[in-house]
Amino acid sequence: MDFLQRTLDGLLEAGPYALVGLGLTLGFGLLHRVNLAYGASAMLGAYAGSWLHVRLDWPVWAVLPCVVLATALAGLYVQWLCFPDTDRATGSVQRASSVVSGADSREVVALASSFAVWMQLEQLCVNLLPRHLNPFPDIASTHEWSLGPLGLRPDRLVMCIAAAGLVMWVARWIHTNRTGLALRAAADHPLAAHLSGLRVPQLQRWGFVLASGLSGVAACAVLALEGQVTPMFGMWMLMKGLAAAMIGGLGNLRGLLWSAALLGVAEAHAQALFGPLGRDAATWGLLLLALLLRSARKTSWAPAGGLHA
Amino acid sequence: MRDALCASEPGIGLAIQMIVLCLVALSAWLVLRVGRISLGQQAYFGIGGYCTALLTTVGQWPLDIALLAATLGGAIAAALMSWPLLRLPGLHYAVASLAVAELFRLSLSGWQYQVPGPSGTPVGPDGVHGFRDIRWLFDHQISQFDYLMWASAVLIAVVLALVALSRTRLGLAMKMVGHDETLAASQGLPVHRLRLLATALAGAVAAFAGGLYAHQLTYIEPALFDPMLGIHAVGYSMLGGLATPLGPLLGAALDLGLLEATRWFEGWRMVLFGTLVAVFLRWRPRGLLDETLVCRLRSAWQSRHHTVSTAMADQS
Amino acid sequence: MLEIRELACAYGKIEALRNVSLSAKAGEVTCLLGPNGAGKTTLMMTLAGILQPTHGSITFEGESLLGLSPAQIVDRGLALVPENRLVFPALSVRENLMAGAYRRKDRAAIASDIEHQLERFPRLRERIDQLAGTLSGGEQQMLALARALMSRPRLLLMDEPSVGLAPKVVAEIFGIVRQLHAEGTSIFLVEQNVHMALKVAQHFFLLQQGRVTFSGTPTELAEDDVIQRAYLAGAERKPEATEA
Repeated sequence: MDFLQRTLDGLLEAGPYALVGLGLTLGFGLLHRVNLAYGASAMLGAYAGSWLHVRLDWPVWAVLPCVVLATALAGLYVQWLCFPDTDRATGSVQRASSVVSGADSREVVALASSFAVWMQLEQLCVNLLPRHLNPFPDIASTHEWSLGPLGLRPDRLVMCIAAAGLVMWVARWIHTNRTGLALRAAADHPLAAHLSGLRVPQLQRWGFVLASGLSGVAACAVLALEGQVTPMFGMWMLMKGLAAAMIGGLGNLRGLLWSAALLGVAEAHAQALFGPLGRDAATWGLLLLALLLRSARKTSWAPAGGLHA
Repeated sequence: MRDALCASEPGIGLAIQMIVLCLVALSAWLVLRVGRISLGQQAYFGIGGYCTALLTTVGQWPLDIALLAATLGGAIAAALMSWPLLRLPGLHYAVASLAVAELFRLSLSGWQYQVPGPSGTPVGPDGVHGFRDIRWLFDHQISQFDYLMWASAVLIAVVLALVALSRTRLGLAMKMVGHDETLAASQGLPVHRLRLLATALAGAVAAFAGGLYAHQLTYIEPALFDPMLGIHAVGYSMLGGLATPLGPLLGAALDLGLLEATRWFEGWRMVLFGTLVAVFLRWRPRGLLDETLVCRLRSAWQSRHHTVSTAMADQS
Repeated sequence: MLEIRELACAYGKIEALRNVSLSAKAGEVTCLLGPNGAGKTTLMMTLAGILQPTHGSITFEGESLLGLSPAQIVDRGLALVPENRLVFPALSVRENLMAGAYRRKDRAAIASDIEHQLERFPRLRERIDQLAGTLSGGEQQMLALARALMSRPRLLLMDEPSVGLAPKVVAEIFGIVRQLHAEGTSIFLVEQNVHMALKVAQHFFLLQQGRVTFSGTPTELAEDDVIQRAYLAGAERKPEATEA
């Protein structure tokens, strides 16, 4: 019975984890860059929300949109500083010497820039709110339903369904909507997109800001049930985001849900067996396993395949 | 490592910390040289620290032998870990190295092995609290100053060795792999093996740094080798420049220099350092001491040498 | 319609175009010939707004195109079918066509235009929901052409449409070029395949090492000695060789 309870608890994490992974995988699908400042930007938004909640006593419905906005703005900053040259149109036309620059140097530099910003934003947050526990608007309820021998918290269930629904809606939107088409086209082949009249730099920028905003929503989804945010949150978002996104395959939006479910269940069982250390070990372990199993025997920097569902 | 850096003791303590950071930076640099970015060098730092500490406290080995053994251990661990990982594309390798390092850190957080120490109190790894009472330096009355001299000598030796390596055919092969692995493979270079060698060396250097640090600090805990350490190491290399082993040293010096300079901006070091790295990478992707600058410096040096020697020849 | 005066374009210190002056008349098929490395693709990319020239002017229907972004150039009525038939490999054929019409807002007309393109290129209709990356070379060329046409350009730029394609497919493509010309579209064509170009173009320019070295009608081209030896030599050379 414990086994079933734990599996159920793990499955309820699928929605939130998928949402956490969404921003990261969308960002990769659009710009072909992994944003290591992902967690730190969400943390900035969360800390801003906490500050508004504690200092100005704002209610939930006012704080949460501000969190999303702050995270989106942080994303804009990250894109401007770290990923400005993903518009490969002119690069593919100009004869660039690969001897001096190295074949994958731009990707390495972008990765390095993004963790530099991670450092920046994380310390900024800790300076803003130096305490370890910072209150966040709480919408959790202690209500618990019983499904026979199993316990189920309705607030977690609703959150899971809402989060999963949002992920599926975004996955559908990007494939059916005209702007979604433009984003996918700009990501798929920037030069062809330019020639079709798409404004590639703007599409890439605002697409990335959208992905960032979604990570702000994810932060709200997670923290609103916790009621508090700690300095560990940045690393937590990055860790779960990387795991959820990469287990299902970077850029694969529909794969997010099953990989998040797998992650949640594995963690729940690992925690029961090995405690909180086990939980984190399960996350990293699954991620590592997924990376090893997915390894394409290619010499290219990033796996092929952009945004797909 | 964050706290340790911020709470630096002035003078000698800071100098030893600087040497440790330089070594970890060199470790990240070695991996970058062969075209891979490793976010997990902190794992070998931790392994080196724990290994050395175990050997000196529980095994009562002399420090230099213990460090040697730990360095070897670091190399072997790095080779074992990298062997499956190096087949991954670069981006996956970066994330995988982070995952491996975190798994190591979590396992060491959960490891408890306490034995009665020489003074009666229990010593050994104590889970999350880490490994305390690493008192070898005090027990053997080695002054901080002597330790600093010895550590500096080792650092200089490592840098000279790396410079010498880069002049050999092996060093050149590694550089080629780093610049363009497809081209290198088509020239017949064993790319995977060369990368493996570089990561083993990197693991060795990081492990040595860990052992060095553990004995200076008299303790080592998992929180010290969190992802920020590895990220700083890569940051130093990328900021300082990838062309020579002096690049990472420059990067480390800039960071600790900033630390000292901004004592009154306490707690903003990472904001400033992060800004520096991100801004520099935007306009100088290969760092401060990049290949073009090194080339220019070298030719300027050579031409001055030439004019001096011709001037002297003319005079005589 | 299109006037290029003293255009210069460089990659760093390498001058790809030096002092290029040529023009394309409305309603005509103008062809630019030249060997590899002459600068033809550079010129096309500059016209499309991907590259910025260092010198000179480009005027289209009286308005300057200098400094405009590629999207703005599409708005002005120029569309480029690039070399190596760049399609969106991860998008379906239909999505590729929709992307081509992105700047347009008239939904109904876009839908009817898609129909029109599918009639013109029946092979694309068969593969309408297939991913463009899985199409053959000839089909991708047709898709790239159809995509460019979706923006209803007044001047169509084509960069070496015949390269790497089987002769039968090349004939099909040039048949469509003739069709488009008959419908009134102005075309500026870059080609290496002189024989096919002679059948469709009304005016020729020759680009060599970044400079225009010839300008004239098809008859003048066929009569000019230098070009004959360089491009049309087939029957000419062999007898010379055996005689010597």
